[in-house]
Amino acid sequence: MSESRSSLSGALDISRRASLGVIAASAAGFALFGPRPRQDVPKDRIVLDYWEKWTGAEGLAMQRLVDRFNASQSEIFVRYLSIGSIDQKAMIAVAGRSPPDILGLWSFNIPSFAEAGALMPLDELAAKSGIASANYAQAVWPMLTHRDQLFSLISTCGTIALYINDDRLAEAGLADAPAPATIEELDALSEALIERRPTGDIEKLGFIHTDPGWWSWLWGYHFGGSLLDETTGTATANAPENVRAYEWVQSYPKTYGSRELIKFQSGVGFYGTAQAPFLTGRVGLTIQGPWMANLIQAFAPDLNYRVVPMPTISSIADPSRPVGLVDGDVLTIPAGAREPEASFAFIAWMQEQKQIEEIATAHAKNSPLTSVSDAFIAGHPNRGITAHNAIAASDRAFRFPKTRVWPRYVSEFDAAFQRLWLLQDEPASMLTSINARAQVALDQAAAMRARRHG
Amino acid sequence: MSLRGPNPAARVTRSLLMLVVAIIFAMPLVWMAATSIKPESQAMSQGLSLLPDPVTSAPSQAMENYEAVLEDPTVDFPLYMRNTIVVVALGVFGCVISSVVVAYGLARVPMPGRKPLIVITIGTMLIPFPVLMAPLFMLYAKLGWIGTFLPLYAQFWLGNAFSIFLLHQFFKSLPKELDEAASIDGCSHWQTFRHIALPLSRNALAVVVLLHFTYMWNDFLAPLVFIVDREQFTLMLGLQLYQSKAGQTPWNLLMAASTMTVLPVLVVFVLTNRLFTRSSLSGSVKG
Amino acid sequence: MSAAGRSRFAGLLWVSPWLVGLCVFFLAPMGLGAYYSMTNYSMLEPPLWVGLDNYTSLLKDDVFKQAVLNTIIYAAFVIPLSVVLALAIAGLLDVDSRLSRLVRVLVFTPTVVPLVASAMIWLWLFNGDHGLINAFLHMIGISGPNWLGERGFAMGALVIMALWSIGQPVVIYLAALQDVPRELYEAGQLDGMGPIRRFVHVAMPSIAPAVFFNVIIQTITAWQVFAAPYIMTEGGPDRSTYFYSHYLYDNAFLFQRMGYASAMAWVQLMLIAVCILAIYAVTRKLWSTDT
Repeated sequence: MSESRSSLSGALDISRRASLGVIAASAAGFALFGPRPRQDVPKDRIVLDYWEKWTGAEGLAMQRLVDRFNASQSEIFVRYLSIGSIDQKAMIAVAGRSPPDILGLWSFNIPSFAEAGALMPLDELAAKSGIASANYAQAVWPMLTHRDQLFSLISTCGTIALYINDDRLAEAGLADAPAPATIEELDALSEALIERRPTGDIEKLGFIHTDPGWWSWLWGYHFGGSLLDETTGTATANAPENVRAYEWVQSYPKTYGSRELIKFQSGVGFYGTAQAPFLTGRVGLTIQGPWMANLIQAFAPDLNYRVVPMPTISSIADPSRPVGLVDGDVLTIPAGAREPEASFAFIAWMQEQKQIEEIATAHAKNSPLTSVSDAFIAGHPNRGITAHNAIAASDRAFRFPKTRVWPRYVSEFDAAFQRLWLLQDEPASMLTSINARAQVALDQAAAMRARRHG
Repeated sequence: MSLRGPNPAARVTRSLLMLVVAIIFAMPLVWMAATSIKPESQAMSQGLSLLPDPVTSAPSQAMENYEAVLEDPTVDFPLYMRNTIVVVALGVFGCVISSVVVAYGLARVPMPGRKPLIVITIGTMLIPFPVLMAPLFMLYAKLGWIGTFLPLYAQFWLGNAFSIFLLHQFFKSLPKELDEAASIDGCSHWQTFRHIALPLSRNALAVVVLLHFTYMWNDFLAPLVFIVDREQFTLMLGLQLYQSKAGQTPWNLLMAASTMTVLPVLVVFVLTNRLFTRSSLSGSVKG
Repeated sequence: MSAAGRSRFAGLLWVSPWLVGLCVFFLAPMGLGAYYSMTNYSMLEPPLWVGLDNYTSLLKDDVFKQAVLNTIIYAAFVIPLSVVLALAIAGLLDVDSRLSRLVRVLVFTPTVVPLVASAMIWLWLFNGDHGLINAFLHMIGISGPNWLGERGFAMGALVIMALWSIGQPVVIYLAALQDVPRELYEAGQLDGMGPIRRFVHVAMPSIAPAVFFNVIIQTITAWQVFAAPYIMTEGGPDRSTYFYSHYLYDNAFLFQRMGYASAMAWVQLMLIAVCILAIYAVTRKLWSTDT
């Protein structure tokens, strides 16, 4: 018996070795003769590396524009590289003295990169190309500057507004309900959209701050508050308007039950999938940027929806001056770039209305320009794009607080928001502690700035 | 190695427990594979169903999903697979060659400062990667290695702490009499190594190959930091591309891609797991 | 060659590649890191000397203290649980049968699964409403918690996920168990020991060095846990799963405080070293009382 066993195991050994050998050989073959990266960089042009964050369909849209730019002239070749965690990669690259020639960042990166001297000021180059603040919607230009110097130009921008699922409203018998213009009206509409299961658990609801939960910090602005006095560098997180705002935020878990809401949140799908709660109607009202239209088109193309500015409290409500967050993706030239004029040639080309509108349509985002073509509005996937544009043009639109310690500031908010939502803290004390920590960070940054630049 | 006369009840209990363990450990992966053949709407749906509905659609849905992954225009998985194979092959090869020599020297060849060196070697395993990341990037930038695969594998041609440690323990466990016999015969350290110790270490080397291969295959922090060009992405970076926050995360496709990245390592492991039933690591874990 | 090969310094030639590697890829960056730890450094600007300010700031930093506490709690659960579980599973699988070989492979496979995929899988498994785990608990009559949304349970979920990846220690224990002389088992059986007692009293003392080795590795790994919570809980809820390495990473790359992060790194090294020395001391004491 042991003999046949050993011959069996011997045979197995051989077949195992054979399989391993085959695998190793095919891996080697694949490695040597398999797919190769494309090598289509022309030798006779200036080659610029353009780092951008977009992948998927958004990346393809930008790649198309890059291809068109490359085809339209013969001095410059832009190579589009899709980079993950682009702000972190960029930081390492700048530190390693090998930055790209064109760098796509988020607008909230500008203060930190600019203040660190990592970006090239663009004032002169912009002036030469006739690019000026007048070309851009009111809220956009301040995003591109830091301490009165221009450090970036826009690639795409978005504003945050309130989305209303009209199908859900109709289902709840509220088909003719007017869009809420004040917080009070929002609460009322949201309450009317609550639907419970026989067990008492919430099956559907109206508005909830944790959907999508990407902005824990902006509620104060809709109550007339702000988070930072940019001229003095003082944190204003615990201003009375903000306290009022977060009391409102906390009123939701207080009214409906913190556990119930968390249970609800964990039971709905994720943004970016067919089960996104706004698409399925489980959440009837949500705040989002214009890119929401791409999601709707992909998974719920027949959805009836409206877009209005996110309401404010009644005392500051003014339909002609909507309040909303404006953010953007920006194009910059890292300091030390080899061919800044060539880099700027591409960036300036991107600022032309044709290119701006093309990429905004593909990404389903706003137009950041003052001049918006009718074709853009008509051809835009988002039926509420005019609402989004109106926010960008409003003087009450707000941006990320412009400070290089914004990531620390916002991380305090994110953590504290969770405490608030779990009813483990009161808004006044929460905001005071956030304010204190943020002020420490701001003071540290100011001290360092003083030491470096005298 | 069951002992004589096993108690049948004990045998059954043992087998049952093994089954429970098997199910618990396999379940997440089974779910991953099951999700990879579902249509997107069912991938995130509620419920325990393992199979897509209707079941007969499974083969065609699987084809569709995996094709979608392989042919995705912005995430070039075949290319990333090739990149990963190249990087891992170079890294594992270099690691084994250097580590075995270093380990033997550390175990068997006289040198000053042996003990402190061992301690330092282990110490390097304590160092958190984020601290090395930025200085290493700058070093590689100065060397002009950014834009190549070198940052991912060159380091291992000079040795790898874990492999060195493992092999060192193994070599230490070899009886000293072998050394003495060899030296009586007039062998130098090198000859002793080549003709006596090295052949004996075959299994330990195989373990090192497997462990280092797995480590490199799965590593995503180093490629994340050092690889900049999308065309040089490894499989892990490709997976993360799929998982981008701004766009849509098709979970069934994400699971299909994950299944594809796991399969090679799994297959290699299945074919080599025999090694762990022999004394491949004997001595490596004796004090 | 023989004469040189016999010198007292011959070994240095053998380890020379590693010596170079150590200096270039570890010591130099560490030295740089130590320097950075005494500067204010955003990576975008040149470092600015601040002496020990970063270290004193750490002592006053509430978030730092929380990160340390979270990591200690995590380690306190993961290390003993994984040692016990890995030993139990290894003991269970220490038979030569088809089933055991299959289960061995299955137990090891989680360690080869890419982290991104693991995180996604467990994210869904732990889902409060529809995850498989709660569905299973529901079947046996327990109403499962919202795992990743509640403070204690989020930590528990991460611990469970860590235990899923104990394939490597299991494999090492199995290999070590192969070397336990069969005569000892037989003697134990003759003495009337059942399989469990045989394992505890015969096998475990023999593989004690393997256990020691794994405890050290687990300690290091637990202290450096980063990727899973980063992807799954993002440090929440309310920083209850915000671990040391995550805060370090955020400081380095999010808050542009590379100097502060470098100080954290050195403190982390020290804390890990202290843990290991403590384990070493305790083990020596155990061994010396045995013999």
